[in-house]
Amino acid sequence: MAGESISVNRVRDILMVTMPRDPGDATIASLQDQVLAAMEKYEALGLVLDISAVDTFDSFFARMVDETAKMVLLMGGRTIIAGMRPSVAITATQLGLKLDGATTALTVDRALNRLETARQGR
Amino acid sequence: MIMQPLQELAIREEHDIVMARSLVRESAMAIGFGLTDVTRIVTTASELARNAFRHAGGGIMKLRRLDEDGKLGLELTFEDHGPGIPDIELALQKGYTTAGGLGLGLPGTKRMMDNLDIQSELGKGTLITVRKWRKG
Repeated sequence: MAGESISVNRVRDILMVTMPRDPGDATIASLQDQVLAAMEKYEALGLVLDISAVDTFDSFFARMVDETAKMVLLMGGRTIIAGMRPSVAITATQLGLKLDGATTALTVDRALNRLETARQGR
Repeated sequence: MIMQPLQELAIREEHDIVMARSLVRESAMAIGFGLTDVTRIVTTASELARNAFRHAGGGIMKLRRLDEDGKLGLELTFEDHGPGIPDIELALQKGYTTAGGLGLGLPGTKRMMDNLDIQSELGKGTLITVRKWRKG
């Protein structure tokens, strides 16, 4: 929807964002500012981006996510993209999308476990 | 081949890209495409609708259901009256971009669909036609 927005939630020192099923460009673009502001405010360890509801991941969406991940990395945080659907993974590969700035996890649980492990070595 | 005119959508503002995805998803599912092909077709529509919006200030998307002796498919056309594409071969190369994107839209579209046809005239506009056939 035109008025939809995303919210950045904090669980301890991890930021959580759940992307809606079919976000518009403006919603996707708002991700960067919100995430970076929350990184600073909460001195977060990183970001888990849940895309399990997302059914279309195109080049614009990928670029915004990758840029956000690179910015989070510059601030000292890690980004894990969780829950990519099989059909989205197939399409993303055919499109040639690259997400160099982030790592991926099958589920949000696994993403959280990985960040928890990373905390030990902080 | 029977080509039924289905629907058309004017792409005038950014939110129309979402509308284009939604309309194409609905049509592709009605034709009976599998989930992965639906995703390929919708992603293609998203790339091409955004191209029309960003490069040409908007355009028209048309959807047609295809029926060739019982073989079903979907055809999408995107027509704009923008600046046109100076070098179509170059635009089809991965990584070539004029709008600060990834340059993946057109080459990716070619891989995801069964047919891609681009007609463009400088200063006049661009007409892009893509087709996908249902398997089985």
